[in-house]
Amino acid sequence: MERHEIETLIGRVALNDRAAFTLLYDATSAKLFGVCLRVLNNRAAAEDAMQDSFVKIWKNAGRYQANGLSPMTWLITIARNTAIDRIRATRKGHQDIDTPGLELAATGAGPEALAVAGAEAKRLVNCLDELAEDRGAAVRGAYLDGQTYAELAAAFSVPINTMRTWLRRGLISLRECMRRE
Amino acid sequence: MSDFSDIDDVPQPEGADLLAAELVLGLLEGEERLAAQRRVASDVEFAALVAAWQERMVAMTDSIEPVVPPKRVKKRLMKALFNAPAVPLSERIWVWKGLSFAAIALAAYLGIQQLGPEPPVAGDVLYATQLTGETVPLQVLAVLDPLRGDLTVSRVAGEEARGRAFELWAILPQQAPVSLGVLPVDEKMRVVLPNDLRSRAAEITLAISDEPQGGSPTGAPTGAVLAASAVTEI
Repeated sequence: MERHEIETLIGRVALNDRAAFTLLYDATSAKLFGVCLRVLNNRAAAEDAMQDSFVKIWKNAGRYQANGLSPMTWLITIARNTAIDRIRATRKGHQDIDTPGLELAATGAGPEALAVAGAEAKRLVNCLDELAEDRGAAVRGAYLDGQTYAELAAAFSVPINTMRTWLRRGLISLRECMRRE
Repeated sequence: MSDFSDIDDVPQPEGADLLAAELVLGLLEGEERLAAQRRVASDVEFAALVAAWQERMVAMTDSIEPVVPPKRVKKRLMKALFNAPAVPLSERIWVWKGLSFAAIALAAYLGIQQLGPEPPVAGDVLYATQLTGETVPLQVLAVLDPLRGDLTVSRVAGEEARGRAFELWAILPQQAPVSLGVLPVDEKMRVVLPNDLRSRAAEITLAISDEPQGGSPTGAPTGAVLAASAVTEI
């Protein structure tokens, strides 16, 4: 399904159009389920996370148009955050990352700015590979496995502050690489 | 490896961009995370940095193969959303988190008030929502009591443009919006719902549009829809 078709469906969902919601589910649930499965690595948990994601999509579709994200980015970000929250819920001192509003906030970004970010995104994977191997792994670990600085530090056997310095340097290189290529 | 003071000393906007990336990755914790989230809500430039990182990072999911979910998940979802006599607990918790503290306080306050001296009625259900302006700083809380058949609306933030009015609408699926009136300047308003709206309270979406002073001259929204949100059981 084309970008504008998904956008139109989200717009109709915002007006409580159930038929559009069904179409949106049919068009995107496989991708969202794939993402939830990748993060949670457990079918039952992934089913729950995907269902919760669509509940959020139904309830927040009205806020989509203003945030400027591409429709699939918005949908996948909701699924990813929901899945990460579910993984973290089992850990001590858990705080939801998906406090409503995060990926729903209105941004001042014009379509051009986000189109640039979208074009850069295509280069992300190459640029991650270009990073020192462990830094790329750390960024992936945070995004896809929900690892915290403390967990990353333990995994790489470095102090937390070092981990943070490291990862932030990685992010700077990453952004420069994406702009350059 | 040096300590990270050199990174913290990175001047804005570099520092802001890194903070945005960390927020997107879910790496911020505690006070720092809350501060960054507040900043998303109040600082459009920062929100744009966050959105740009969301666009970039989502590419990590490009290689994830779609997996068709079992049919029962769709059934469960539709049932949970559209004909749930009782909202599942997990969803209810999420709904509560979605409402601001003010909304909860308001609902609790109204709940107590409405039950008044009479004993609570079993199965009593309230619906509420928070309407947040997309392009204007407008925030309105609404609590709907189907038993009494009325809707209480409280404006938390937002001011009409000069000579304009905020008009409140109730929308049922596949039906034209029904005007519930113009929001008064002094914040609270109570509206009695027409019977057809009252009987389908769970399906109502509330919306606020920008209209000429005194409200839409045509009986249908004529200006921009500033905020819209479905009610949810609380």
